[in-house]
Amino acid sequence: MRDLCHAAVDAALGAGAQYADARAVVRRNQAVATKNGRVEALTDSESEGIGVRVLVGGSWGFACDRRLSADGARDAALRACTFARAAGGRNNRPLAPVEPRTATYRTPVERDPFEVSLAEKVEHCLRADEALQGPHLVVRQAMVRAQREHKVLVSSEGTDVEQELTECGGGIDCAAVDDGVYQMRSYPSAHVGSSAQGGWEYVEGLGLAAEAPRVAEQAEALLRADVCPSVVTTLVLDADQMALQVHESVGHPTELDRVYGTEASYAGTSFLKAGDLGSLRYGSERMNITADPTTAGGLGTFGFDDEGVPAERQPVVEEGVLTGFLTSRETAARIGAGAGGSMRAESWNRMPLVRMTNLHLEPGEGTLEDLLAEVGDGVYMETNKSWSIDDKRLNFQFGTQIAWEIKDGKLGRMLRDATYTGITPEFWGKLDAVAGPGAWRLYGLTNCGKGQPGQSAHVSHGAAPARFRDVQVGVTA
Amino acid sequence: MSRALDVAQAALAASGEEGEAVALAERSGLARFAESEVHQPTLIDNVSVTLRVVRDGRAGVATTNRIDAEGLAELARRAAAAADSAPADPDFPGLAPAAAPRATEGFDEATAALGPDDQARLASAAIDAAGDIPVYGFFTSGDSELAVVSSTGISVDQRMTDAMALVIAADDGRSGYAEQTSWRLADVDPAAVGREAAEKAARTEAAVTIEPGHYRAVLEPYAFAELLESFAFDSFGALGVLEERGFLAGRLGERVFDEKISIADDALDAQGLPKAFDFEGTPKQRVPLIAGGEACGVVWDRATAARADGDSESTGHAPPPEERDFGPLPTALSVAGGEAASVEELAELVGDGIYITRLHYLGVVHPREGVITGMTRDGTFRIRDGKIAEPLVNLRFTVAVPEMLQEVPGLTRAVSLVNANDFYGARYPRGTLVPAIATTRFNISGAGSAPGI
Repeated sequence: MRDLCHAAVDAALGAGAQYADARAVVRRNQAVATKNGRVEALTDSESEGIGVRVLVGGSWGFACDRRLSADGARDAALRACTFARAAGGRNNRPLAPVEPRTATYRTPVERDPFEVSLAEKVEHCLRADEALQGPHLVVRQAMVRAQREHKVLVSSEGTDVEQELTECGGGIDCAAVDDGVYQMRSYPSAHVGSSAQGGWEYVEGLGLAAEAPRVAEQAEALLRADVCPSVVTTLVLDADQMALQVHESVGHPTELDRVYGTEASYAGTSFLKAGDLGSLRYGSERMNITADPTTAGGLGTFGFDDEGVPAERQPVVEEGVLTGFLTSRETAARIGAGAGGSMRAESWNRMPLVRMTNLHLEPGEGTLEDLLAEVGDGVYMETNKSWSIDDKRLNFQFGTQIAWEIKDGKLGRMLRDATYTGITPEFWGKLDAVAGPGAWRLYGLTNCGKGQPGQSAHVSHGAAPARFRDVQVGVTA
Repeated sequence: MSRALDVAQAALAASGEEGEAVALAERSGLARFAESEVHQPTLIDNVSVTLRVVRDGRAGVATTNRIDAEGLAELARRAAAAADSAPADPDFPGLAPAAAPRATEGFDEATAALGPDDQARLASAAIDAAGDIPVYGFFTSGDSELAVVSSTGISVDQRMTDAMALVIAADDGRSGYAEQTSWRLADVDPAAVGREAAEKAARTEAAVTIEPGHYRAVLEPYAFAELLESFAFDSFGALGVLEERGFLAGRLGERVFDEKISIADDALDAQGLPKAFDFEGTPKQRVPLIAGGEACGVVWDRATAARADGDSESTGHAPPPEERDFGPLPTALSVAGGEAASVEELAELVGDGIYITRLHYLGVVHPREGVITGMTRDGTFRIRDGKIAEPLVNLRFTVAVPEMLQEVPGLTRAVSLVNANDFYGARYPRGTLVPAIATTRFNISGAGSAPGI
């Protein structure tokens, strides 16, 4: 793979590129899912190829080829140059400097998930599936997944890095129906569970079968729960929903390509401006957000990003003030701050984009119970169910699978169909407490969409339960 | 013979067992632009094949894009190993029988012949036509092939083309949107798309806000198509009915919408992006979903048909093997047009309300009730005295789609093909044929920011 990448870069330079990088990728995925006691999916997939990105006359070009061969590498390089020339840019597109490195990086793994047989994975799912029981459950499902990506990046500036990233994950869901009411519960997270970089030990540690009875019981109970009232009140969110809140209302708006408008035609832009760096009040002083591609177990953990920039922990919001953007080498050069480090491509056949790595809400103090104790009237919500946010990442509306009334510092009656809405900086300005390190959890999601053609990124967020005052909950149609 | 069919046949032969091979090939180019400059041009060339091996009712699936003999042998080994790892499934419906799909349109030589120079040139045409306002978007074209072969005798393939221009014209305080999609390049005019977006943007300056509440509304085809696609995910597929998740669960045969509403899934219609068969090789059928306001059907694949009581059968809506857990879904929604000659005529029918060009980031709040939230963008206006009036800021809506379709003053006669493909994964062009629609109930639940970048 390394030789092919060098050949592609050489071919691009020979065709007139002033800069070129080539990524050769071999990726394998396994997924097992069961539903209602039967195997729903049992797949073992692989994909490989080489992607070449070039700068010719100030224009980017990208082309790829599934063939990991000399012909494939050369053809991709030449076609990338052809497209760049045809695009005809008018900008110089300077890149922030990066020290060329020759290095390797590999995810530490205790038990290789690809050494775990598919039969064991099926058994793992069926056990969890079977443990989801209830008279009104119409759907009981469990899934586990594993991915390995082996990739080599070579650039015309001397970068030569090889990485092997291994991840796996799992989750359970169930849905209950009675008298026209449909409710669902998931663990550890909605939308195909949670994943982490590491070995099968992560999946075993989730304890899917052990959590299943609680999840099923809550789904059943939701059928009889009252609908979340429409009221402005104190809102406490669990760590899982906080992870989604960070993702949508901090992660995406701080992607500097969105700030500059280059994602405007699909995912959207940002309410932030480049000049806001260091001065914009994003939230209360309790708000501290960090981008950290060195987090153990994070899906956005790597040795180097897809431009060869080494992983580095960086503050994004400190005591409520915007102090960092997620950048590429190009956007970092444009703003004159940062060094890149957030460029990631879905695979060999997509161009790298500015993506979140691992973006965390730093913990505060105390426990969830401590947060609840200081609430006279409020609502506590758990586990994302629906999400929507505007193109500038300002106006959002999220729903959760389950909620409870808070009365005099304690959880009261269960509530269903809970939603809340807000405007990003106003909402974060209402943050008055984040629970401490003991309540901080890392969640990994695999469905972050961006780009045209579309790319799904795998990113992680660490968060602890958090409390917000005076929030509109219970949005109705 | 196509390259996809070659690969599918070779994969099945490498297995030599009961099974099915699905190959998808793609050659595409996408010239993406921002600030009126192409900045992310992407060329893709790929062929992948998915092999499903069946051993005594146990099915295992493997996928690869290594299509040489060694790669396909490894594919067969992994699919067989997967099958051996599964317990027997008593509900397994078996592989689809051989059947001849209807001849369909959907391939255009001129579109297939487009290369990177053409794609960049057509992107530039959209950019130039917009004039001084910065534009963001892309021109893309693709040449895709789908082939399905099986040990039951299926051997079908289809070559498909698609071309699309999309433009957002925007600066500080203004934004407008337009797109065109077709399987024929001749039906896509990137310059017209650029002009439409720029003209719409020019009308959005100095947007004002409105109070939340229920409004009468006109939705352009872009907005209606996106809302319908989100609603369809839970409500127009058989799995949503079987699992009682979708709005149509328990309502088939009932009058659910205004009698002006008729919706079908029709992949055979040459106005759309035609498909001859699904990912199991079953021929596509036109499936009426709503007829004169009455819920009359959903789409099926073999797995859901086998689970249902009675005599349900596949309508040719099996999704790709890796997406089977979503169940069968419509891929070519088609809404019958009405009597209105234009959106202006719909505004007259509405009288007082709001006019919505397109939507953003929809989320299903309550699938069973069809409640969906999202934002309007790139051209939201007040309707006053039957006329499209002042621009509005982007608005948050939380709408029960069935309520929105309960009372429909009118629909335009003309229908438009709206792209329904975000180009994730392998290219498989999809679109929705819809008219513009007027409704008496559209719930605005909040106000957002002004249009523009």
